[in-house]
Amino acid sequence: MNTVWDDLAGGLWGQTQAVELGWGTGIRWALWLLVAFPVVFPLIVAYMVWLERKVAARFQDRIGPNRVGPLGLLQPIADLLKLLTKEDLVPRTADRWVHLAAPVMVLVSAFLVIAVIPFAVNMAPVNLPSGMVYLIAVSSISPLGIFLAGWSSRNKYSLLGAMRAVAQLVSYEVPQVLSTIPIVLWAGSLSLVTVFERQREFGWFIASPPGLLAFLILLVSGIAEVNRTPFDLPEAESEIIAGYHTEYSGMRFGLFFLAEYLSVFAISCLGTALFLGGGTPIPFVDFPTNFLGEAFSYVLVDIILIAVFFAKVVFFIFLMFWIRATLPRLRVDRLMNFAWKYLVPLSIINVMVAGVWYEIVIRPGSLTVWNWFRGTFWTALLLVPAIVFVFWANRRETAREPLGTEWPTVGPVHPGFGLRSVGR
Amino acid sequence: MIVIQVVFMVIAGLGLAAALGTILARNLVHAGLFLVAFFFTVACLFVLLEAEFLAALQVLVYIGAVAILLMFGIMLTRNIQGDDPTSVPSSWRLPGLIAGLGVFLVLACGIFYQKGIGSQLSWTTKDVRPTISAATGEAATPRSRAVNEMGRVVGDELMKRYVIAFEMAGLLLTAALVGAIAIAHREEAAPSAARSGSAAGRQSADGDPGRTGALEVASTASTR
Repeated sequence: MNTVWDDLAGGLWGQTQAVELGWGTGIRWALWLLVAFPVVFPLIVAYMVWLERKVAARFQDRIGPNRVGPLGLLQPIADLLKLLTKEDLVPRTADRWVHLAAPVMVLVSAFLVIAVIPFAVNMAPVNLPSGMVYLIAVSSISPLGIFLAGWSSRNKYSLLGAMRAVAQLVSYEVPQVLSTIPIVLWAGSLSLVTVFERQREFGWFIASPPGLLAFLILLVSGIAEVNRTPFDLPEAESEIIAGYHTEYSGMRFGLFFLAEYLSVFAISCLGTALFLGGGTPIPFVDFPTNFLGEAFSYVLVDIILIAVFFAKVVFFIFLMFWIRATLPRLRVDRLMNFAWKYLVPLSIINVMVAGVWYEIVIRPGSLTVWNWFRGTFWTALLLVPAIVFVFWANRRETAREPLGTEWPTVGPVHPGFGLRSVGR
Repeated sequence: MIVIQVVFMVIAGLGLAAALGTILARNLVHAGLFLVAFFFTVACLFVLLEAEFLAALQVLVYIGAVAILLMFGIMLTRNIQGDDPTSVPSSWRLPGLIAGLGVFLVLACGIFYQKGIGSQLSWTTKDVRPTISAATGEAATPRSRAVNEMGRVVGDELMKRYVIAFEMAGLLLTAALVGAIAIAHREEAAPSAARSGSAAGRQSADGDPGRTGALEVASTASTR
């Protein structure tokens, strides 16, 4: 008998992207859940930490870890062992359960972002038809985790760091989301696999003025979303001890650490999947999938795609390490200014110019060189004055305030007291 | 019992437990966290109903925005270092219980004795779920489109049939935002004038520069 439950089961399993429930799918899911997520991604993250230390060291004209194993390659293992064997401290007045739940929420949010990314053909862990909304939803859980970390530590520095972190994260979510709207417009769907397929037809989305601007905005707000320098005021050591993770040590801190680097990896994967065409090697050329007999060419194409994907991801990770080693930190009010007065107007204007690009290049149905040049010309003509205008308007408004109004007024300065001369 | 029934029972049980935790928790922040867990189980129920777009929106709006706002509200209105437990004064317990029971009865009767909307029968008489055509050869029925491309269908409806409600909601949100900024701006302008006035007053009152210097450093620390 066909009850509600049977039909619901049939409807659920035979859903949307038509997943057939053979044992092949079961094996695929088991591999993703038991091998990729618990083992491969944490291993990638551990060696990202090694890479960061080496890269930062080279930027600072030193060598970095080189004692533990050849080239210091066993350093992450040593760090992991240290974190695991450290004493698990919770401050006496802290809220035990919230103190434990907070890093778990941040870590879960980072893992869930990776779950929709198309690494190659048929190699997205989950192909959600509303993948973009899912991405935004899942990346909005981490501010809650960070706030709870600061709150549960019962420490005023942690709370202050947590409040600033939440303000920063919530502010930078807006341009991050708005910069992915052109992608949704051009792909015509919210699913990331469709975005990947569409870039095979129309070239990489970054190869267009609105795409380039959207990519830059996504990169900048992504760096702010994962609390990396120059946006790492909430957790900066010289500013606020360690901000929201002051009271975390041992493996609890290890969870935050893992979550931060996993988020860096997730943002790099997202930028690559959305703007650089996932694993496609050459921008405007679709790759052939059937040149050597079906099964073998499928596997070969997947291997090439994954390799190219990871090369691009490593490039972006290196870019973030480079930026960290080079740029100073933004002050908190400049940080908020930058989000709301520069990035949000630019991303809104970008959405409108993306519509122009859609009409010229994508609506005809297939990419032609003439359309692409025409599209580039018109969108650049619209975007360049818009960018100039946003910067000029902000400059004019900042210049209109008289000098020194940001600092508190002090009154007449007494000679010889350096503390008061700071006011003018 | 098949798998999906068991899954539903587990999710519903967890949701009920989270809801009970919300009302019975001593500590307000814990109650807020139980509420977040409840929102998450509602999102899981949306996924069971083949509406993962709505599930994502539920997480985004409720957990990503409402819960954070709730946490900020709790933090700013309670004693920061302590967590005073919440408790209901005993004279309110019986009326509260009656009101809660009344709401439960209204909801239960409304759900179970539903008469059906338009030409559809009430859900209690249905025992077969309309199928979604997942096969690629068939034409897309409205229901299969609604499930497979929910974002597009919701967008279509919001822009065509419900456009007035959509625009009015946007207008309301903009008015709220502008009002909040106006109120915050007005409060910010008044104290800073008072502060610089009092600093000037303190300056001229006594001739001891060291003490007033420390006071001004303290006031700058509090503005930051």
